[in-house]
Amino acid sequence: MTGGGSAWLLRRLVASVAIIFAVVTFIFILIHLAPGKPCSENLEPRVCDLLTHQFGLDQPIVVQYWRYLVELAHGNLGMSFSLRRPVLDALVETVPFTLQLAGAALALDFLLGLGLGIYQAGRVNRLPDLALGNATLFVYSLPTFWLAPILLLIFGEKLGWFPVGGASDPIFCPVVDSLYCVGDRLWHLVLPATTLGLVGAAGTARFQRAAMLEVASQDYVRTARAKGVPERQIVLRHQLRNALLSFITRFGLAFPFLLTGAVLVETVFAWPGMGRLAFNAILTRDYPLVTASALIASTVVVAGNLLADVLMGIADPRLRVHAAAGADIATA
Amino acid sequence: MPRRSALSFYIVLTAATLGACERRGGCTTAGCGTLIDAAVVEPPTLLPPSTEDIVASDIGEQLFLKLADVGMSTNTDGDEDFQPLLAQRWEWDGPLTLVFHLDPRARWQDGQPVTAADVEFTFNAYNDSAVASPFRPKLQRIEKVTTRDSLTAVFRFRERYREMFYDAVYHMRILPAHLLRSVPRDQWRTAPFGRQPVGDGPYRFVRWQAAQSIELVADTNFFLGRPGIRRLIWRFTPSLPVAVQQVIADQADIREQLVTPDFVERAKAAKQLAIYSYRGNVYTFLSFNQRAPGDTSKPHPIFADRDVRRALTMAVDRASLVKSTLGDLGQVPPGPISALVGIWDPDVRQLPYDTAQAARLLNLHGWRDHDGDGIRDKDGQPLAFHILVPSSSGLRKQYARLLQEQFRAVGVRAEIDELEGSVVAQRTGSGNFDTALLSRSNDPSPGSGITQSWTLAGFGGSNFGRYYNPEFERIVQLAISAPTRDRARALWRSALETINADAPAVFLYALSNIGAVHKRVDNVQFRPDSWAALLRTWRIPPDRLIDRDRVER
Repeated sequence: MTGGGSAWLLRRLVASVAIIFAVVTFIFILIHLAPGKPCSENLEPRVCDLLTHQFGLDQPIVVQYWRYLVELAHGNLGMSFSLRRPVLDALVETVPFTLQLAGAALALDFLLGLGLGIYQAGRVNRLPDLALGNATLFVYSLPTFWLAPILLLIFGEKLGWFPVGGASDPIFCPVVDSLYCVGDRLWHLVLPATTLGLVGAAGTARFQRAAMLEVASQDYVRTARAKGVPERQIVLRHQLRNALLSFITRFGLAFPFLLTGAVLVETVFAWPGMGRLAFNAILTRDYPLVTASALIASTVVVAGNLLADVLMGIADPRLRVHAAAGADIATA
Repeated sequence: MPRRSALSFYIVLTAATLGACERRGGCTTAGCGTLIDAAVVEPPTLLPPSTEDIVASDIGEQLFLKLADVGMSTNTDGDEDFQPLLAQRWEWDGPLTLVFHLDPRARWQDGQPVTAADVEFTFNAYNDSAVASPFRPKLQRIEKVTTRDSLTAVFRFRERYREMFYDAVYHMRILPAHLLRSVPRDQWRTAPFGRQPVGDGPYRFVRWQAAQSIELVADTNFFLGRPGIRRLIWRFTPSLPVAVQQVIADQADIREQLVTPDFVERAKAAKQLAIYSYRGNVYTFLSFNQRAPGDTSKPHPIFADRDVRRALTMAVDRASLVKSTLGDLGQVPPGPISALVGIWDPDVRQLPYDTAQAARLLNLHGWRDHDGDGIRDKDGQPLAFHILVPSSSGLRKQYARLLQEQFRAVGVRAEIDELEGSVVAQRTGSGNFDTALLSRSNDPSPGSGITQSWTLAGFGGSNFGRYYNPEFERIVQLAISAPTRDRARALWRSALETINADAPAVFLYALSNIGAVHKRVDNVQFRPDSWAALLRTWRIPPDRLIDRDRVER
């Protein structure tokens, strides 16, 4: 990497840390200002008051925030009120599940979406393109909160093809320690990953089709075609490669959607990930857990965008030149 | 290349299949079996004094024993039908002293004997404010617990009353002093012991997969006899519909409460499920706040008036509401009690559904529709209020809308505030509400539930509406300490009629419980106060074992 590139990367890293810090501060203040208290409906108010005192929640918000920052600086994310255990322990257990789900959904989203987009662009305005265009529009318009229970009802309860919720068979595979259990995990992953990835794939397909068609009208594609380059080579080498820039941009943008989507999908499918954890934490006003979840989520999103920027620089030599000259790389 | 890919695929498939076969073990005798409960809530801890949720209590039944427990009758009066557990026998040593003799065979699962010192330690822990146990108020009539020797624990009461034995044994699960003494009491809620407990019950703790499951395995050396089923798993699912789906799809064996008529019908249609009905322990009511919202020093402008509360109660057709929403799954309660409580009596006098009488009462107190807008008013103030309802409860949200319609019919405007449970808890706890649709779960005793929620003792606690009637308090106290069972029953009836006449709330419905269990399970008994209390006696006959029952691990 050039000196200019390193400086750019350093600036982006500093900006990323500042963004994460701002998000965490914002969430900390917001959740503390929200009405409600970290006690269940049926808990005696006297017991609740005692717990509130034990956890230091009766202190002014500034004091709580300062304590939080001090603890954070020591790598301590605090104690979860609702789980009665260190927040870090809870996150260490749940983040891998969210990464598995998001990873599978991302793979489905981009592999299927990319494939469909390329296929449609090669048959523009013909029957397959029109049929797939309508199909992807239909899928894209399906709300996840509807799709999730419907998939569960049809493929879980009625047909019995897939498990109704959970991440593994609690009897045969309480821990993933064999090939069979890897298969069991993948089997449990099918419905939640499909719910999360399918709608995205429909969007990616439409996006990619448009990007491919835009590139198709460029001079270098026409030139290649005039030179008699085979169509397959034109699509893969000239169109797809240049259309990938918008694909990378979409990749960077996919992280926030995947994480927010995971909240609902993990809840419906009883997937033991961070989204479900964060959702419960918000409902139970588990302040340390909410703030820590925001910290992790914002870090993932910022890192995803940073990765997309770096990939853009790699894919597009023009951007590398700008970066070397000290210019900021603009991303969507 | 394709051929190689296909080969790799078959290798993986074969390995997976072999792996699967390898795991299907050969347990085929009596005492095998695995039961999976589709649970909706994951408990934060399994340390009994720090638990307030029902799933922790269900699992606690398997891990930690009480001295004795109520029987299938759920009688709480005297010691009739109580079943010995840790205590082999007991006797009275004077009117205020109860002596328990522990079973010398009882052992903690680390091999240590269970002793009277554990009982004394347990009582002191439950009573320590630092532990913040929700059971503490129920032990207030016990003065102290001491030891006479290593197997004899002595309970000393402050006063004589009918449920002395019940209070001594029901609320506390005995704890291992040798493992918990070193843990500071204010850290019990977060103690690692709560996530890896060592008990003395019929099952041992095996593992807790966060947000997934808790697994227990039968203690084959359990001193009261080996449990009938080898493995129990609570599988956590964050939504009731999905939990019910798991049971219907044969991916779980037990759903102890199906809750809605729709779920009951779907479970009945599943061939592998048997349906069980038992008395419910929950009642739901519309609480009228008798103090001004947010200022408990002032009376509420509407609900401080007893006749207005009575009129609003008479404006609600509770029987029709139950029939239309719950069918056979609910009943109109005869007061602030669930069907579990022994004093349940449908003949207790209640305010009738009588909209004409309701209108007359409101007119009498000056609440008339002066401006012709369809809503009654007095001194320029409309007869209007808010109903607070937790957004997580579909049934209560449905009820709020039905109540809104019924109040509208008598010229009363009710607006619905659907809020998160934590916000409802904050607002009811601080008295910042007009009315709230609340649910209460009872233990089998009429004394503890009514005292906590409907008397002066519940101010600042669960008596959110701040209902107070000295006459009601007097009758309750008399009932608690009545000399005979018949006298107690008559007094409780009188207490219920007094509170019904005061109408501090509209007592809307008491749920009947209907559960579903896989048909291969034999000897299924649901004790109404705790469905899991008798799990150790359930069996799966060897000829009905399925794959998940035979697995060896």
